[in-house]
Amino acid sequence: MLVTNIQRFCMHDGPGVRTTIFLQGCPLHCLWCHNPETQSLHPALLFSREHCISCGGCAAVCPTKSQIIRPERRWNRGTCTDCGACAAVCPTKALRLSAKEMTPQEIVAEAEKDRAFYGRRGGITLSGGEPLLHGEQALELLREAKRSGLHTAVETCGVFDGSLLPELCRYVDLFLWDIKDTDSNRLYRYTGACQERILNNLEAAGRNGATVRLRCLLVSGINTEEAHIAGIADLYNRFSFISGVDFLPCHLMAEAKYREVGSVYEIPPTAATSPQTVQWARELFDRLKTRPEAS
Amino acid sequence: MIVFPTAYGPGRPVRLSEDTRRFAYDSLHHRYGQDTLRTPHVCMDEVAGIGEMNRLELYDAAIRRIAEEAPVRICDGERISGAATLGDALKHAVPAVYHGEILFSGVSHLTANFEKVLRMGIQGMEQEVQDASARNTDPHKSAFYRSLQNTIDSFAVWHRRYLEALDPASDNYRNLQRVPWQPPRHFYEAVQSLWFSFAFLRLCGIWPGIGRIDQLLGSYLEKDLRDGVLTLEEAREILAHFFIKGCEWITGVAAFDNGSGDAQHYQNIVLAGVDAQGREVTNEVTYLVLDILEELGISDFPVTVRINEHSPEQLLRRVAEVIRHGGGIVAVYNEPLILRSLVRTGYSLETARGFANDGCWEVQIPGHTCFSYVPFDALTLLQKKTLQGGRAHFDSYEALYAQYLCDLEGQVDAIYQECCGDWGKEAPSVDCASLWQHCTVVSLFEEGCVERGLSYLNGGADYRILSPHIGGLPDAVNSLYAIRKAVFEDHLVEFDELMGILERNWEGAESLRQTIWSRYRWWGNDNDEVDAIAADLLDTFADFCQKRTVDIRHQFIPGVSTFGRQVEWIPIRMATAFGKKQGAILSGNCSPTPGTDKEGATAVIRSYCKADLSRQASGAALDIPLTPSMVRGEEGLDALMSLIRGFVQLGGFFMQLDVVDGQTLRQAQEHPEEYATLSVRVSGWNARFVTLSREWQNMIIERDSPSC
Repeated sequence: MLVTNIQRFCMHDGPGVRTTIFLQGCPLHCLWCHNPETQSLHPALLFSREHCISCGGCAAVCPTKSQIIRPERRWNRGTCTDCGACAAVCPTKALRLSAKEMTPQEIVAEAEKDRAFYGRRGGITLSGGEPLLHGEQALELLREAKRSGLHTAVETCGVFDGSLLPELCRYVDLFLWDIKDTDSNRLYRYTGACQERILNNLEAAGRNGATVRLRCLLVSGINTEEAHIAGIADLYNRFSFISGVDFLPCHLMAEAKYREVGSVYEIPPTAATSPQTVQWARELFDRLKTRPEAS
Repeated sequence: MIVFPTAYGPGRPVRLSEDTRRFAYDSLHHRYGQDTLRTPHVCMDEVAGIGEMNRLELYDAAIRRIAEEAPVRICDGERISGAATLGDALKHAVPAVYHGEILFSGVSHLTANFEKVLRMGIQGMEQEVQDASARNTDPHKSAFYRSLQNTIDSFAVWHRRYLEALDPASDNYRNLQRVPWQPPRHFYEAVQSLWFSFAFLRLCGIWPGIGRIDQLLGSYLEKDLRDGVLTLEEAREILAHFFIKGCEWITGVAAFDNGSGDAQHYQNIVLAGVDAQGREVTNEVTYLVLDILEELGISDFPVTVRINEHSPEQLLRRVAEVIRHGGGIVAVYNEPLILRSLVRTGYSLETARGFANDGCWEVQIPGHTCFSYVPFDALTLLQKKTLQGGRAHFDSYEALYAQYLCDLEGQVDAIYQECCGDWGKEAPSVDCASLWQHCTVVSLFEEGCVERGLSYLNGGADYRILSPHIGGLPDAVNSLYAIRKAVFEDHLVEFDELMGILERNWEGAESLRQTIWSRYRWWGNDNDEVDAIAADLLDTFADFCQKRTVDIRHQFIPGVSTFGRQVEWIPIRMATAFGKKQGAILSGNCSPTPGTDKEGATAVIRSYCKADLSRQASGAALDIPLTPSMVRGEEGLDALMSLIRGFVQLGGFFMQLDVVDGQTLRQAQEHPEEYATLSVRVSGWNARFVTLSREWQNMIIERDSPSC
């Protein structure tokens, strides 16, 4: 499967110390996405201009002559096939592919390295992209991790093949479930996601015995309204398998990444979330919830 | 309201009285340090008969004069008394001059036998001296016994001057009437006894570590609490004054010009761990010390906590809570590994269990050990000796490595020949001209000296340790790995061509430099291939040392350190084969070469632990920097505790977790190549700071800047 990054010693992707595995590919295209390089289903060629030393190595190996070193360091994305030949020779890694192929066994072997630090609570978290887009392979990875006795968490947007759930829930200790918006129209407009599908999957996960924590990104001026927080509280109150809710601020810091992918960062600067807004959402939610959250 | 700075947003707790906090604030802001500098030394010019004295008599006269004339300082509201008030003691000298010249050097890198002071009092120690003197038949040793008696008499003079100056109605006066001459009866007397002895040693230019303060004081506190004569709050106040008084050498200016700052007096403390019988020592004093450090942020007594698989959860938690305030005040030892190491060296398990350090982090048996170390640079050895500055040629990696090991042995042997020539030939001397040789004051506080009639530095101490310390280890290992991969395996460049490029400081070969630098995973990234080179190198280094160890009393044992020498070594180092240009600051202690670490703290610990560190009997220090945001809240405590547990489980030796502030982050932004290990908590995840875009970095710097 295509792995964009394996990040060790992560503290906030589930309980304890964790190794987070970022997988390539996502069915959504959120306006605020901070990992745009993970959206496509194939490894994307990334170019970081400030690391380029204009050595010309890329132009020499490019089969489609898409690399143009002079007069200005750039490449022709129209003819580029993301084959990665240039990335293989780039001395500074200014050109690189967003993901590389790894087997579930190789990934678990990587995660095993930090076992001494996981303690009783830590383990692995699948993230992305949308990790469940990888279907059977994601299942295999989780199965392998459970076989090794690792705690498993999956960070999901909820858009995936629901028929995976009965099997999936046997191998996932905790779902970190994104609720990007409870307003269906807005959700579709800003992410391309279908609300019904997300909620069906959420309910099905619950029926299959999943433990879920909701992760709610607050995007100023888009979903920072009382009705949305009330919608989250409604979900939480309705489903006892949801153990708690995290409200996360939106930071507008992904511009450089968008540049590397060669696309435009369209989100307005006003969308950044202040700590006060996060606190507002937290307090409102605390008033609306009808049962205590697990820590 | 007084505020003590912290890297931790929510600030420090307040438990101590306002008076004590004020005292701490003044002390930390140089009030007493500046006062100490006002009187640098006593003057020997007018001492009667000084022209006829031999060196030992001169030493005795100096100590007596110091005891008689050093200013007595009693601070307002101090709960314990005694002060080392002569400024030249800060310069590692016995603060007495003759015609403007310092006569004797100070002594450091030891922990004195304070356990004995508490157990038998100075009175009991005097009895020992007199008994040994009475038994002695060697006329050469008589002078040394007279000198020991002079030390005790001088100590008594200084003690009497404090009694005369103190208010007879004060607690301090009442306590000092008994201690340190007799053993303390309760906690308050014990703290005073420990402090007074420590202060006297420092007055005479000796910089001892304190050792295991919780083991020294724990039983007194336990008894007082049981008897209901003292509360924990009162005990905390009293003990806080020990730490505050220990700041009396903070002057705000560096004592030396080497850039190492103004707080380098080796006054280390060791907490927790097992006692001689294997029972956990952790007690109320352990927690009081952590309370005090957490509240006042005093960094002048660096604390190292002995952690084992059974360390109390509460201890780990409290250690983590103190660490997250920053400043690197509290570090950890992996106790089981160090015990294994000491037993292998030849100590009995009971003796080994008493280990503390030399006032820095090198492990030793406190009160029994005369320790010194000699540093050398593994990278310079490779570049200048093995590779002959670029003129050597090797046809295979194996040939290069074999030659390097040969040169390493040569280096180790040169240190041995130079420093251990007199081993086994120690003899009493009254007239050694060396600045170093006379050290009767410290000899009184180190086991073996009284019994043998020999001074501490002249074979008196039970154990004599000379430790070669290898520095620049990760840099040397990365260089070897670079040559192996780039020249002999991947054929990116010919050997001779690479040597020429390194001599030219990579000029004209930027593309190759970048390729090598970014292509391989260097030491500190949990890469078995390169980590194995480090492990083998350290093992071989340990073999070379072991061959030369005479016996348990004369140990020649290895250690890994730079102690900041990576800065002074810059001019003698060349460009490295792994892509660093001449002039770069390279690895410190066991930490990865700056900029090479891409995988974070856990990977660094894994790389470091792949060597059998129990063979580095003197110690191998790892420094891990963390940002304040990473250690915030419950998750942050979890992170710290997990790192410590993993470090113990995997076989680390000594680890310092440093929480660094916004200013450091700004420097990281200017010089990202030197801060690659720096991890930050971004929002819901962590990232290496230098991998973040400028916008992200700015956001984190602002967020992590202390509010005061």
